[in-house]
Amino acid sequence: MDALIQLLANGALMGCIYALITLGLSLIFGVMNVVNFAHGDLVMLSMYIAFWMGSYLGFDASLTPLITFPLLFIVGIAFYYSLIDRTLRQKYVTQIAVTVGLMTFLRAIAQLAWKAQPRSLPYSLISGNFQIGSVTIMTSRLISALVSILVIVVVAIFLSKTWAGRAIRAVSDDFDASSLMGVNYKGTYALAFGLGSALTAIAGGMLMTFQQVDPTMGLRFGLLSWCVLALTGLGSISGLLISGIIVGCAEALAMGFWDPRARMLVVYMIFILVLWLRPRGVFGRK
Amino acid sequence: MKKFRFALLCLLVLLALVLPIFFRSNPYNLILLTTILLYGVLATAWNIIGGMGGQLDLAAGAYLGLGAFTTGTLLIRFNLTPWIGIFIGGLVAVLFAVLVGLPLFRFKVKEVWYALSSAALVEVLRIAFIMWEKVGGPVERYLPSYGSALYMRFGSYIPYYYIMLTLLLAALFINFWISRSKLGYYLIALGDDEDAAAVLGVGVRSSKLKALMIYAFIVGVTGGVYACLYGFIHPNFFSSPLSTEVAILGIVGGMGITYGPLIGAILLVSIRELLRANLGGQLESLYLVIYSTVLILIVLFRPRGITTLLQDGFNKLFSRWVRKNHAE
Repeated sequence: MDALIQLLANGALMGCIYALITLGLSLIFGVMNVVNFAHGDLVMLSMYIAFWMGSYLGFDASLTPLITFPLLFIVGIAFYYSLIDRTLRQKYVTQIAVTVGLMTFLRAIAQLAWKAQPRSLPYSLISGNFQIGSVTIMTSRLISALVSILVIVVVAIFLSKTWAGRAIRAVSDDFDASSLMGVNYKGTYALAFGLGSALTAIAGGMLMTFQQVDPTMGLRFGLLSWCVLALTGLGSISGLLISGIIVGCAEALAMGFWDPRARMLVVYMIFILVLWLRPRGVFGRK
Repeated sequence: MKKFRFALLCLLVLLALVLPIFFRSNPYNLILLTTILLYGVLATAWNIIGGMGGQLDLAAGAYLGLGAFTTGTLLIRFNLTPWIGIFIGGLVAVLFAVLVGLPLFRFKVKEVWYALSSAALVEVLRIAFIMWEKVGGPVERYLPSYGSALYMRFGSYIPYYYIMLTLLLAALFINFWISRSKLGYYLIALGDDEDAAAVLGVGVRSSKLKALMIYAFIVGVTGGVYACLYGFIHPNFFSSPLSTEVAILGIVGGMGITYGPLIGAILLVSIRELLRANLGGQLESLYLVIYSTVLILIVLFRPRGITTLLQDGFNKLFSRWVRKNHAE
């Protein structure tokens, strides 16, 4: 029983970070209907930048988002204007081809710069753990989860209260109507792509406080965030947290009770089953 | 024009037949040629479901791995020659395609979600085969090397080249044949607009399933040959990079054009391997950086495929030639 609660606690905390990663993907996919295969690799990239800043500049991993957030925002906007904008009028297959090219590019850059071996940072300001009853909680995981929830709430407020946020939602609801109402769709798309990419910087920095990073991580986070998105559907931010936690718990349970190698197997099985049975997601709008 | 094309085709086939003679002294070049053909077969097979049917399938690695594992396991366990094993491998791949395709098409999983679920499938199989220690497991399983042609093991790479070439010609022929058949027209229609096609009476589900089965069979058979070529089987044969690359070759080459994916494969795989050979060593991944940049540029500036560039050039050349002949 204790083991079960322990696993669930770990899984739920991880799930909050998954929800944060998926929020970025959901912004990009929901607003401009662009399938970004490179999203997971942006997580990997920001983890590597966090590693690099930690080991050479002495930054603490949990503080790196202060720099990587604006950096990835700019990178995202650059990607939008240089690549995505040119493919908006094309078939979705072309878009996927471009983002797959981008994915290969980012992965190759990471291998070039950091070689293929896994990297991790030796310590972090928020390391350590504490006990609640019989359950051990890692401080770094707890704080990462709290930061993720906080960021998700901030983004939700941004989307509902500010002009730019409302423009993003308007474009995703009805492209034609919103552009007739004077929303600059290019600027809005760029903003959504930049914000979606920048959110991975926060997730990457927080993940780096307790995880190691290797170049194959991109594929895992990519498919994982698509799994969470498929489970949620579009347009529900609280649903995002719930499905993130479901996926995180499923992964943790598979690791604890079945086989450590089965963690992703379970996630992908959930993904495929959800696509078959509830293609619109469980929590989303139609 | 038609005669001219036929002559060109015969010339190319003849060239492909004699090519290994020039390269026989260097095994690296032979492997390179065989690899290009391998990707050519996979991309040509992909053209059926992806190019004509418009279903972005990213599961080539799944069918390839199933074919390889079936062939390999039958050889290791039951001493069955791969000459039969590869076809059983193809059938296993077809069976799997049916198991996956029925619910996928029944529940109308399409476009992005089809692409993603097929991508997830490859990883599911890879992990499942790593965990299934009786057949897979994390260590390579070497095929017994009887060293005889009866078990598809040869002293040189030349026979593999010809086996791949045969597969390629078969794949091209099937592709050509389908593109002229009712199934082909159905696929092109539903690839363009699924709902419109369904309204006009196209059996969307059955056409997609047929395309998927043919694709899976060709890739499964190729997987069996792949296992013999490398002499071992390993769960990493269920490879995501390979699966996405096959689709990319098809897109870059020109979707729906019979020989488009083949041209994509010849161009891109040789670019990649040349870069790898010349830049390898210290800067391991530099070739991938350049390769992916080339790829992005082609897709951005020729979204309908690089083959259209060749077609335009060919047509221009041909019309000039006709004009000249008329003038004389």
